[in-house]
Amino acid sequence: MSTPISYFLVLSSILFAIGSVGVLTRKNALIIFMSVELQLNAVNLTLVAFSRMHNSLNGQVLAFFSMVVAAAEVVVGLAIIVSVYRRIRSVNVDDAEALRG
Amino acid sequence: MQADLILFWVFAPISVASAIAMLVMRNAVHSALFLIVNFFCLALFYLILGATFLFAVQIIVYAGAIMVLFLFVIMLLGVDGREDLRERRLIAQRPVAIALGVAFVLEVTFAIRASIGFSALAPAGFDKVNEGGNAQALAKVLFSKYFFPFEVTSILLIIAAIAAMILAQRKSHAVTQAEMEAHNAAMEPVAPEPVA
Amino acid sequence: MSASGSLWLIPALPLVGAGVNLFIGKRLGRSAGIFAAVLVAASFAVSVAVAGSLIGLSAQDRVQTQELFEWIRVGAFSVGATLRLDPLSATMILVVTGIGTLIHIYSIGYMRDDPRYGRFFAYMNLFVFFMLMLVLGQNLLVLYLGWEGVGLCSYLLIGFWFEKTENANAAKKAFVTTRIGDTAMLIGLALIAVKFGTLDYTVIFGAAGSTLTKSAATAIALLLFAGAVGKSAQVPLHVWLPDAMAGPTPVSALIHAATMVTAGVYLVLRMHVIFEISGVALTVVAIVGVATMLFAGTCAFGQDDIKRVLAYSTISQLGFMFLAAGLKAYSIALFMLVAHAFYKALMFLGAGSVMHGMHDHTDMKQMGGLLRKMPVTGVTFIVGALALAGVYPLSGFFAKDEILEVASNSGHELLFVLGVLGALISALYIGRLVFLTFFGRARSEEAEHAHESPAIMTIPLVLLALGAAGASLLDLTIHGALSTFVEPVVGPTPEGAAGLSYAAIVAISSLMVAIGLFATWFVYGSGKIDWLALRVRMQPAQRVLEHGWYVDNYYSALLVTPGKAVAAWLAYVFDARIIDGIVNGIGAGVRALARSGRRLQTGLVRTYALAFLAGAIGLLVYVGFRL
Repeated sequence: MSTPISYFLVLSSILFAIGSVGVLTRKNALIIFMSVELQLNAVNLTLVAFSRMHNSLNGQVLAFFSMVVAAAEVVVGLAIIVSVYRRIRSVNVDDAEALRG
Repeated sequence: MQADLILFWVFAPISVASAIAMLVMRNAVHSALFLIVNFFCLALFYLILGATFLFAVQIIVYAGAIMVLFLFVIMLLGVDGREDLRERRLIAQRPVAIALGVAFVLEVTFAIRASIGFSALAPAGFDKVNEGGNAQALAKVLFSKYFFPFEVTSILLIIAAIAAMILAQRKSHAVTQAEMEAHNAAMEPVAPEPVA
Repeated sequence: MSASGSLWLIPALPLVGAGVNLFIGKRLGRSAGIFAAVLVAASFAVSVAVAGSLIGLSAQDRVQTQELFEWIRVGAFSVGATLRLDPLSATMILVVTGIGTLIHIYSIGYMRDDPRYGRFFAYMNLFVFFMLMLVLGQNLLVLYLGWEGVGLCSYLLIGFWFEKTENANAAKKAFVTTRIGDTAMLIGLALIAVKFGTLDYTVIFGAAGSTLTKSAATAIALLLFAGAVGKSAQVPLHVWLPDAMAGPTPVSALIHAATMVTAGVYLVLRMHVIFEISGVALTVVAIVGVATMLFAGTCAFGQDDIKRVLAYSTISQLGFMFLAAGLKAYSIALFMLVAHAFYKALMFLGAGSVMHGMHDHTDMKQMGGLLRKMPVTGVTFIVGALALAGVYPLSGFFAKDEILEVASNSGHELLFVLGVLGALISALYIGRLVFLTFFGRARSEEAEHAHESPAIMTIPLVLLALGAAGASLLDLTIHGALSTFVEPVVGPTPEGAAGLSYAAIVAISSLMVAIGLFATWFVYGSGKIDWLALRVRMQPAQRVLEHGWYVDNYYSALLVTPGKAVAAWLAYVFDARIIDGIVNGIGAGVRALARSGRRLQTGLVRTYALAFLAGAIGLLVYVGFRL
């Protein structure tokens, strides 16, 4: 492989940043959630890149587990979004401000 | 020029562009579709990096299961309408978020520059790690060294499934329009009462 | 039964009476008074036995103490609840319990119709208890306990009929005025404790000469004397006593004639060792005494209220006693104390009897000719009056003349002259009182229809009259019996040959008394002079005397009004605005803080996420730069 590892790392950081901006900027709960998934994937990329760099499979195993947990998280998160939607009839996170002090 | 380098330089911009597109789309379904594109690019990167198993898992699980689930919910909740992207309440949010993102990228760049350098190539010898194929090698590590986390995650998945079933249960009676209006009225932001 | 072993009974009996009457007095009804009187009488009986046991003993043995329990112990400083029996305290307890018993009996009749009958006797018994503790204490702290206690009881009793505001005010005035003296006295006590490490009499008297410098002794003595000035209503703390006449008459008799006001004299007598180390203090005592005697005497002359005459008279007579003490004639001062207790209590009770017949009127201008209507009261009262004026062979005569003799012998001629003047003034005011009240024609309806008081009130009068007359026995028959009795405690009467002979003194003072009595008879009693017209012409002068030379008004302007202004400022400005402002300000400040802190809680997930990310990235940057 002739691609420097740093390329992957920078790429993943860019993707992570995009994901963060999405979390902070969008108001639709589902889009926010998808941005979170993007962040997770960026991190997975970093893990696999490092695994290649260190010549070990630990990074890949960790990325594997990250995917599993992400899957479980998506399931639960979407269930929560659905039940919140049933309560406030909207997926706009700005509408869920009952904790406003 | 090696094949992987060409592939990288082709698909890296695609992944970034699709990520940005996911960000700016007004329609949630479009966002999801662009994210799937992004996932496919990432799967390709895994392949370049020698993680063939993860390449497959990424497509099957992420793009194939998770995003489908997302699309189900989007359709269910009917939010495929156009969303208003204007920022009215927290005006400083967008610039600060972008600034933070940029700061993050810069920081990572500096960290890389300080540590391994931009042109460091991956060391040789990864083939020996992937002996017998990536899946087999992964399995060997997974079921010996990482056996306990493996079992725990399986329990986690079961719990997640049960949790989702319970959370998404419908209440016994449907909320009537009148109740909904009363509820909305109650949810209005209340001005804090001046303390006497 | 040893004398000292039963000392505790003497104060304990009235204390029991006070407790019982306080709690179940209402249920006892009429018997509350009898119960209280019996207890004081029992205390008197024990006092007689105990005092009598002292007579046979030699001089050294005449001091006995009984420690009841250790009251205070702080490190090396220890104060016991200890009682002391010596000739001085024996004399005092006899006076207190004896006259107290008679007054209790009198009160059974006088307070008959009062709704708070039981409580009255509870307070009276409590007072007797505290007074006994005062005189029986073996250390200054027990004395101070009694001192404060009698002040409290005085307040309670003066303001007994507190429904009338002026009574409550008089009680408050008494308490506050004596408090000034008490505070000074407390400082004196503290000084003694510092210098001697103890408050015990035996230790103090023994070590006084070697421990105290002249200035220290002066300071202590003057501080203690300040307390005496307050309690005994000397100038300038005398203002409470005339107003204290608002209380029931038995209270005036017991507390403000016979016992509490004499506590100051007792204190000086008890602590005379310290006063003598500082010569200055004794001079101060004598000067205050003689000044008060003259001042109060003139005021007494100008009063129309029969009780106020007697009040000022008490102040004046106490001044005379302090003059004697200041001249180191302690046993004579004590003798005068005893005699005065008898005749003043007698006259107060007599005045109460007069008021009873006059339907509680006290204005002498409306009395007259009461001797015919109330013979027993009149005769006994006149006996007391003659004793006060100092007519032979009544007790006042001997007391007065012996003090004058000491004054003349002391080399201070001025004191002698002023003392003679005092005798004249005493005769004048008491003569005026007697002639206005009991002689001449009745000047009002009530005086026309006055009648004698019931026996329960007149019998104590008779007994007191006998005492007033017979107190002279203590001095006359067994010459100087009292002096010899108390000599171990107070030392001998100072001798001196510088002055006039005793006979000359007797002649001069008797002349003064005669002039005074005759003059008042002529003006008020004989009917030859229209004293009412005379009074109208002398109106301004009479007003000045009646208002006590306007001392009260000066105090009011100088102290009370500014004090009230300060209090008002403190209450309405400082407390309401500043302190409440601070407290409310703290509350408001917390609220403002909370309000600004509240703005962090937007309720929006996005702001929280922003904070998350900013923090995380900041942390990363920090770690990155560190590494």
